[in-house]
Amino acid sequence: MKKKWRWPLAGFVLGGLVGATLLTVNVVGASSPVPAGAESNSFGEILHTPPLLARASEPIELRYDVVCGGAKDEPGGTCSPKGSVFVRASGANGFVEQPLEREPDGLLSAEVSVGDGGFDYYAEIENGHGETATLPEAAAAAPQHVWPLRSWTTVDLGAESFGETTPPSSVVSELTWGKGTQALGLDSGQEQSRIGPSAFDVAPDGSIVVLDQVNHRLSRLRPDGTSMQLPIDFAGGEGDLAVGGDGTIYVLDAGASQPVVRSFSPAGDLIAGTPLGEATGDMIRVGSDGPLVHAYPSEMWLPTGRGRPPLAPEQQLSGAQAARTVDGGQAVVVSASPAEARFALVRGGDVVGSWLVRSSTSLGEVQLAEPYGDGLLVVVRVWDENQAVFRVLRLAPDGLAGSFAVDRAEWAETASLSRFRLHGSTLYQLRSDPSGVEIAAFEIGGTR
Amino acid sequence: MTSRTKLLRFVPGLVGGLTLVLLAFGTPAGAYHTNFTWGCNNQWENVARVRRSDARLYAYVAASEGYQWGGGCWNNNNVDDSPGDPPRDPNTRGEGPDCSGFTFKSWLERSETSDAGFRYHYWLQNVHGPYSAAAFKSGAGAPNITVAKASTVYMDAFASTNHIGMIYWANTAYNQDRIIEAKCEACGTGTWARTYRGNPDYTGVRRLYWQ
Repeated sequence: MKKKWRWPLAGFVLGGLVGATLLTVNVVGASSPVPAGAESNSFGEILHTPPLLARASEPIELRYDVVCGGAKDEPGGTCSPKGSVFVRASGANGFVEQPLEREPDGLLSAEVSVGDGGFDYYAEIENGHGETATLPEAAAAAPQHVWPLRSWTTVDLGAESFGETTPPSSVVSELTWGKGTQALGLDSGQEQSRIGPSAFDVAPDGSIVVLDQVNHRLSRLRPDGTSMQLPIDFAGGEGDLAVGGDGTIYVLDAGASQPVVRSFSPAGDLIAGTPLGEATGDMIRVGSDGPLVHAYPSEMWLPTGRGRPPLAPEQQLSGAQAARTVDGGQAVVVSASPAEARFALVRGGDVVGSWLVRSSTSLGEVQLAEPYGDGLLVVVRVWDENQAVFRVLRLAPDGLAGSFAVDRAEWAETASLSRFRLHGSTLYQLRSDPSGVEIAAFEIGGTR
Repeated sequence: MTSRTKLLRFVPGLVGGLTLVLLAFGTPAGAYHTNFTWGCNNQWENVARVRRSDARLYAYVAASEGYQWGGGCWNNNNVDDSPGDPPRDPNTRGEGPDCSGFTFKSWLERSETSDAGFRYHYWLQNVHGPYSAAAFKSGAGAPNITVAKASTVYMDAFASTNHIGMIYWANTAYNQDRIIEAKCEACGTGTWARTYRGNPDYTGVRRLYWQ
């Protein structure tokens, strides 16, 4: 080899080795089973559905399951958790420990007397790997609550006919799929959900604000027919939105690893943002003291703060509430199953009004439950294996004041409980089909 | 030869070698974003019947690990290591499964559709399996059947023609189901409250032969 090629060749070989090293470190690092800093041995998750509303003086069963953390990449691995619930009768001072029993199906349970005044409770569970967690996370500082039902108004819907649905009173806005000013984004394809705008709400000036998260923006649809697009940060695929009485827009970005709540001015300027105190959130609503997020696994409402700075996760957890506060010092409580749905208006620990809605057709999710007059306006899905409608119910103290069925119009997915919003005496529905989205309005009547 | 001359000859060689390697191997990695699947494998083992709880734990590991159309390989660091991949492109080689691949691996199914036995797929095994969401919806394959949605329990699934998600925890206070699913590129894989049960677009699907 000629000497003049020796140094270029040496450089070439060294450059190649450096390049190969860079690529190897980069790729292997990204696909390592447990990269440095990974949380490979976290507790896991406690699973529980709070009963919230129970017949006074009767016992109820609290049931828990545990998904263990710290799994190894090998078959099996389910742990053997154990623990207790800590129960405090309403008005009492201290919590009383009650061991959780293991049921044949593997769940942990305890039977608790509701008493005349209801009770607070939290669970403390050890996952069998030596790690302990509480649910709710703030434990005695912000426990879960069960309200006692002494009397209630029963509404029996019978069997759903799945006949004609009620057409909207009007269609407020129609938009196509796409990215233009009169369009909303659609994220669809094989082997994934068909995702449209996640949520909407009605602003104090009558504008409809739509969370067009696929296009990373808010669409503000004014009553005069004009629209405005407000770009926002949005990392996840879906989320929820609520507009406060002062026009502030609250957005829940329900990403897979860490949900975030952001607030925006009516013009779309970012005011503040904060991580959610729990791993998952499905609803954001504006309560009497600011935004509230319905979070899992606690199924409690976490206050995220209306101001700047917003509430940090620890503050959210210590302020968690079992009921969703609304105006007038009241709160709404929902506890539903396929056979019956229970609703209550509560004031502190007192039940102001309660309803038990039954149907011989399966009940689905409760899309909306808002104070209306001296009762509630409720939207609940009614379904069988082949068909479904949303049924709008006006629950009055003495029974059902009105009811009608609404086409589900759910071609594209929204946030799970954000298809309806109530503004004044008008119920709005976000509807979709292959051609696009419309915001439809239904006049409810009566006095809100 | 002076040091300066040596350096002048060495540096172009260094740059050339570095450029050549990065162009030859780095460009595909760049085009495929993180090229996460470069470190994946094809490791599996056949196992006896497993419990639904074991399958749920297996699925839980994939939560927060991303979504990849046509994919099936993930680690357990609770981070999507290939965020923002262009959607609906199987060549992006990102982390995570798609919805049907996630169900296939979480249900410990075998690639042979006539074989209802269980197979443990290691997290980093890059396998999607033979079933689409639509195939699951029809109950295709020896291990799978359709069931009434009203009778489903945890780790059963709800499938439409384009999506499938498994029940993580049934019946929340608002009467939803918490679903564990690979949802979309921006969503990733995780657990969310969903209303698939009452949606006629979705069918109940069950993996048979749990322990």
